[in-house]
Amino acid sequence: MPQLHAERDSLRPMLWTTAAFVAGALLNVDRVPIWTTAVLITCAAWQLSVAAHKLPALPRAAQLILTFILVTCVVATFHTLNGLPAGTALLIVMGSIKLLETRSRRDRYIVIGAALILLLAACLDRQGLARVPLYLGEAALCCTALVVTAYGGAGLHFRVAGLLAVRSLVLALPLALVLFLFFPRLPGGFWALPASDDAVTGLGESMSPGSISQLIASYDPAFRVRFAGAIPPPQERYWRGPVLHAFDGYTWRHGLGQALPQQPLRYMGAPYRYSVTLVPDANRWWFALDTVAGSPDKHVLFSYDYALIARDPVTQPTTYEALSYTHTESSEPLSTLARRIETALPPERNPRTRELAARLRARALADPQFVGAAIDFFRSGGFQYSVTPPKLDFDSVDDFLFHTREGFCGHYASAFVALMRAGGLPARVVTGYQGGEWNPIGGYFVVRQSDAHAWAEVWIDGRGWRRVDPTAIVAPERLRRGLLDILPNAVSGSARLLYATPLLAHLLQGWDALNTAWNERIVKFDVSTQLGILERLGVHAADWTALVTALGAGLVGWLAWIAWHIGRSAGPRPADRLARAYTRLCNKLARAGIARDAHEGPLAYAERIGRRRPDLAARARPLLARYAHLRFGPLSDAPAAAAVAGFDRMVLRCSLGRVRMRQPPS
Amino acid sequence: MKRFLRARMASWARRRQGADTLPVTMHYRRIYILPTRAGWGFAFLLFCMFVAGLNYSNSTALFLTFWLAGFVLVGLHRCHRNLLGIALQGATAVPTFAGAAGQVQLTLENPAPLARLRIEADLPGVAPSVTDIAARSAARLDLAVPTTVRGRVLIEGLRLTTALPFGLFRAWTWVYLPVELIVYPRARGSLPLPTVAGATQGTRLRGGSGGDEWLGLRAFRDGDSPRQVAWKAYARGAPLLVKEYCSASAPERFFDFERLTHPDTEKRLEQLAAWIVDAENRGERYALTLPGTTLALDRGAQHRHRCLRALALYGLAPARHAAIAR
Repeated sequence: MPQLHAERDSLRPMLWTTAAFVAGALLNVDRVPIWTTAVLITCAAWQLSVAAHKLPALPRAAQLILTFILVTCVVATFHTLNGLPAGTALLIVMGSIKLLETRSRRDRYIVIGAALILLLAACLDRQGLARVPLYLGEAALCCTALVVTAYGGAGLHFRVAGLLAVRSLVLALPLALVLFLFFPRLPGGFWALPASDDAVTGLGESMSPGSISQLIASYDPAFRVRFAGAIPPPQERYWRGPVLHAFDGYTWRHGLGQALPQQPLRYMGAPYRYSVTLVPDANRWWFALDTVAGSPDKHVLFSYDYALIARDPVTQPTTYEALSYTHTESSEPLSTLARRIETALPPERNPRTRELAARLRARALADPQFVGAAIDFFRSGGFQYSVTPPKLDFDSVDDFLFHTREGFCGHYASAFVALMRAGGLPARVVTGYQGGEWNPIGGYFVVRQSDAHAWAEVWIDGRGWRRVDPTAIVAPERLRRGLLDILPNAVSGSARLLYATPLLAHLLQGWDALNTAWNERIVKFDVSTQLGILERLGVHAADWTALVTALGAGLVGWLAWIAWHIGRSAGPRPADRLARAYTRLCNKLARAGIARDAHEGPLAYAERIGRRRPDLAARARPLLARYAHLRFGPLSDAPAAAAVAGFDRMVLRCSLGRVRMRQPPS
Repeated sequence: MKRFLRARMASWARRRQGADTLPVTMHYRRIYILPTRAGWGFAFLLFCMFVAGLNYSNSTALFLTFWLAGFVLVGLHRCHRNLLGIALQGATAVPTFAGAAGQVQLTLENPAPLARLRIEADLPGVAPSVTDIAARSAARLDLAVPTTVRGRVLIEGLRLTTALPFGLFRAWTWVYLPVELIVYPRARGSLPLPTVAGATQGTRLRGGSGGDEWLGLRAFRDGDSPRQVAWKAYARGAPLLVKEYCSASAPERFFDFERLTHPDTEKRLEQLAAWIVDAENRGERYALTLPGTTLALDRGAQHRHRCLRALALYGLAPARHAAIAR
């Protein structure tokens, strides 16, 4: 019987530790192979059955064999044990097996530790605001499991344990804030981080017919832009990304040519100042309003085609300040090499396009007229704007211009640039984003993948590179209104639903604003933010020493507060306010040199003070009499709260002095 | 190594604190606290989390680490507080026969409005005993002290500890109270009860027989027949009592150390102890004569204890004791 009892006792800690571990693993469920989750659930269910005497425990040898098999599976899946995904999968598998042999308290602590590491892995992986409640819940679960494990039996109600853990976490919050705000951050890491193998979303370095239409089905944000001051009009909101120079007749590529010198620009008009926060997409492109005036970061190249190319892929939310002019000119002539690159076309491809270019060129001798003629061709050629155009032939431009006549921005840009090049005019495809959705709550623009766009640039001697957007010619609505208005079927069903429901859209905007604030204030928190906080607190020229000072002050303050806060609840504390006030009065009198005897009532005490310490009597006697009245007087069954409060205040205020030579309490 | 350190620390605390007198209140100055193995492990875990968070410049991970560090420190104070303010109101030792476990009964009072979880009491070489104490209440903790030889055992090195709430720290306090456990000689012997000198032969009767003299109630002892138990009194909430009757003229027994012939003193004491237990169980009056001591005819629990105590301490210098502290 006692043994049975002891084993039933171990069921509850088992349950909590298992729950903490399973929850930790589930936080990573979409980043690990599905079979690890299956292993986890099986092991957890098995172990709980063992603890409840439903199933026999797995023999030790079987556990070892299982460990070997599962670790082999992890290695086979990832080809490594290094890196976050493989490490997480390994931890889940090893922890699951550890669950099977969890018997002692020590085992349970190990499982809880593993659950905390899984929580850490989830934090390292994703820090979205939406996941924060999950992380908080898991932290509270682990802490509760800690309490239940330390208690070890069934006598502790889970609500008591949970409350204990959550209260402790709440008390720890100020310290966490102090450390978070003031603990000096490293400018870089200790070791190189493995590159993330996230699936590449966003614009790539090549464009085939249809590649952009795949992208625009996604409602995911690409970046957010906050303007300081003037906001450009909708038709100027072109966000420049990869510029494509090389054409093989079907696909445009970035190609070579980074060694070319940048064509000098003359910036005209008023500049737009803004900050961009990129959503990490593992690409190296930084997007900026066309045309940016310079590189915002020393690790970012301002390329010869006016794009921003970062040294490292964007794996963290990245914010930068930029300055752009929407009107530029370049009067210098284009170099021979650049001209050759920008007019290159694959020979013997798209012959009908060449024919058309020659025809147009014959009619319009000057370059601007040639461009105008091409634009007229697009405007009057019966072209259709569509997100699901028919597939194009091997000679994609010929097929598009003379056969299907139905396409998306990529088709138009590709065909237009090919036509220009066929006519001997330097031209290139620019990809990026166009437009952006204004978020009135956050005061910024969200540019989504569905805003992906491609347009053309042609070289006009004496004026420089000019933007021509053939899509805007075919579907002028595209610039003023969102894609959804013109092509409602282009994007996913859930995005359509959001768009069709104003309340939902509004909520979504609010959530996006909150998320952005989270990303800007918390996720992007670094040394400069820390120093900024110190300066706002009134520290001039804040540096590391100021940080450390603030950290130390906060730490000491919290430690003192927590010691006082927790320590005070351990002493005997009279239940009601009147008793507390009386105790305080007696303590004051004791400090003044005349302590109340344990047997002494308030009136006897007052009388003794009158005899022994006449100097105190005038102050002490009315108070003691008041207490006696409140406690034992006619209304003493339920003394008025106001009267008790008044007495309490009187005691607090009265000053009785203090005797230096105090007997230590024996 | 660990045991050596603990002994050194205990003696240092003994010199620092001095001897205690009841009641012993657990003040700040006498509570010590150190991380447990789980606590060190947790600290290492936090360090790893910290390095990872710093390396990845990951705010969420760093915040989590800092928060858990704060949680651990709150745990430190909570663990300390779990012991703080508890008063040891009583510490008594229940005598026992050699070979059986003696009981040290501790009464712990919690005057504070918060519950104390898992307060453990331990002695060197004794299995610890655990209790919870609800807010503003008291709890009793019994420690079973194994014994081997008769005599006086001075209980030293009593430690009150707790690792709650999180098991990451262990707070403890040493209590230096002179608690004396009397260990009676083992009650064993082959000789029958000595025959009664000069008294009327009488027999103790089974409970419930009419017409006999009502002696009264006494506490239940192992081996009493259930038929003798005063069930009515028990149903009213009284402890388990046994009704005692005996014939009008109970026999009187005289146990004399000198009259026993066995050469070994310990064997003689064991025989005397067995007789005393037997006579008391029969409800007879008995007297005990040891060289230098005589305990007059009497019966009852008090008398039994006095006699057995005399046997336990026979021949021992008042100062000498077999300390169980190993």
